Amino acid sequence: MDLALAVSGLSVRGDDGRAILTVESLKVAPGTAVAIRGPSGAGKSTLLFALAGLVPVAAGSIRWGGHEISAMSEDGRAAFRRRFVGMVFQDFLLFEELSALANASLAGAYSGARRGSIREGAAAMLQRLGLPSDDGRTVATFSGGERQRVAVARALAADPAIILADEPTASLDRAAADALIDDLVRLARESGKTLLIASHDLAVHARMDRLVEVIDGRFCGDVAQHA
Amino acid sequence: MPEALSDFWYALSPTAQDALLFALLLAPAILLGLVVVAGYRPFALVRAMLWRFRWTSLLFILLIAVSVGIGVGLIAQERGLRQGTARAADKFDLIVTAPGSEVTMMLAAVYLQPSDVPLLSGRVFNDIAGSENVSLAAPIAFGDSFEGAPVIGTTAGFVTHLSSGALAEGRMFAEHEEAVAGARVPLAIGETFTPAHGVGPSAEEDGHQGHVYRIVGRMPASGTPWDRAILVPVESVWEVHGLASGHAPGSEARLGPPFDADYFPGTPAILVHADQLWANYALRSQFTTAETMAFFPGAVLASLHALLGDVRQVMSVMAVVTQVLVTAGVLTGLIILMRLFARRLALLRALGAPRRFVFAVVWSYAAFLIGAGALLGIAVGFAASAIISRIVTARTDILIRASLSWPEFQLVAGFVSLTVLLALVPAFLTLARPVVKDLRG
Repeated sequence: MDLALAVSGLSVRGDDGRAILTVESLKVAPGTAVAIRGPSGAGKSTLLFALAGLVPVAAGSIRWGGHEISAMSEDGRAAFRRRFVGMVFQDFLLFEELSALANASLAGAYSGARRGSIREGAAAMLQRLGLPSDDGRTVATFSGGERQRVAVARALAADPAIILADEPTASLDRAAADALIDDLVRLARESGKTLLIASHDLAVHARMDRLVEVIDGRFCGDVAQHA
Repeated sequence: MPEALSDFWYALSPTAQDALLFALLLAPAILLGLVVVAGYRPFALVRAMLWRFRWTSLLFILLIAVSVGIGVGLIAQERGLRQGTARAADKFDLIVTAPGSEVTMMLAAVYLQPSDVPLLSGRVFNDIAGSENVSLAAPIAFGDSFEGAPVIGTTAGFVTHLSSGALAEGRMFAEHEEAVAGARVPLAIGETFTPAHGVGPSAEEDGHQGHVYRIVGRMPASGTPWDRAILVPVESVWEVHGLASGHAPGSEARLGPPFDADYFPGTPAILVHADQLWANYALRSQFTTAETMAFFPGAVLASLHALLGDVRQVMSVMAVVTQVLVTAGVLTGLIILMRLFARRLALLRALGAPRRFVFAVVWSYAAFLIGAGALLGIAVGFAASAIISRIVTARTDILIRASLSWPEFQLVAGFVSLTVLLALVPAFLTLARPVVKDLRG
């Protein structure tokens, strides 16, 4: 499915009505890996959340292929994420009391008929990421690197076309971060997924197809790689 | 109620009515649960939430359990008391005493609670005993005791009536110095005792020195204060007090009726038993006079029970209000608790979980606390009722049995349905939380 990203004239406002993110234009072809860089508080995460339909849009449009999520209802945007988007967060956001498989197949709890395939996908993804699919341990006993790989398995279990990752390596040591980003990029590329990662990490930037920049709430477009 | 429905209702057996009422009261909770979780599997997440906040969850469950337990215990206890006191009065069809308070007389004659009451004369006794339709008229003379056990003067006929025709052990008293013990009197057959004058702490232990009774029989257990009583010939009670024996000189050795009115010192109460039910009503009218008062202990009890029922209703309302307030407090606590869990609930929404699923998770968590608290509350209520019943039984000698019945289950079913409905509130409030703000913690 062609889920090219097209953002135009986007404006996101904070609770106080002040503009916290503006994007004149951003286009991403399907299957592209894009890193979003910028200083802390510049609006990288807000851009990712806006692309996921998690923040209300004051103006402009966000279109993923034929889906203009900026015009959708909250339930419509949730359905879009459920079907097309996998998300990874900086501090994993796992249910510590559940096993790796239960976390990775979380979507099965609310996806009705897809429950079985999500669970199978989660088990397979955990295996590909070198994690036990279900050894009975809760993720509370896992290392940081293992936890983030569970989060990646969760994002990929339902085979979404789009992966949005917010600082996925920020809580990991160098070796774990490198291993994780290698896995994430490899898995995304293998299945032609669009990957957008908000990150400070130069090693992440180096592995992406494109590098874009956000400064002071303004999307500044592409920057040269290794700049 | 439409006629067909009314006919259907009254065609049901009492048990079926109770079961149906229980089902109807619980149905809203079950239907709500089915609607809320339909299509989803929130239980793994609910389990995770329960484990994460296990101590807080346990505290909430205990709070609900205690408040439900109060309601359950109250109903169970009131029923146990009502049944126990009614059973204790079972053998006392009609009591005749001097005019006064029916309650005081009933407490003294049926429940053996000591009281100073006026005496009835031998002429009155003989009038009653000689009346048509009276199959048993027995004096009940109380006022002495042995180590806390009341010593009651009466006739062999009354002992037989109280024992339903057969003693559990030994034989009936046949001499002035013989006695039949209640089932729980700590004296064996063949043992002797000297009664104290009076009852309770003011009893004079040596008031009847020289008068010795020997236990010759034991009554079967009845679960009434009479299990702790020692029954002796009424003639001996009068003699112990230095009075006439109830029989003319020369016949002093005789036991039981007929008594000679001239030598009858008096009795505080007379038990009257008629073979025909209707005759009891006629006898009550006959002996309700200026010098006598006749009453049915069952009717007096019914009045007391009605009063007890009113008190129970007021207390039940208070218990329900307490339950709802405690649950409202718990649900308010839940709203606060949900703030701690807000990040993970926001995660679910970020991952694309329908709002209804997040709603189902929060509601199911609250419903579990309520359900577990209600179930535990039934156990708490029963346990409290059992403990209180034992204490009351020990203090009054009236056997109070703790048991659970439909009204308790109906109360809990109504409570669960009402409160799981209230649990919709924190679930709705959770949906109003800002996802991105919660995601960022």
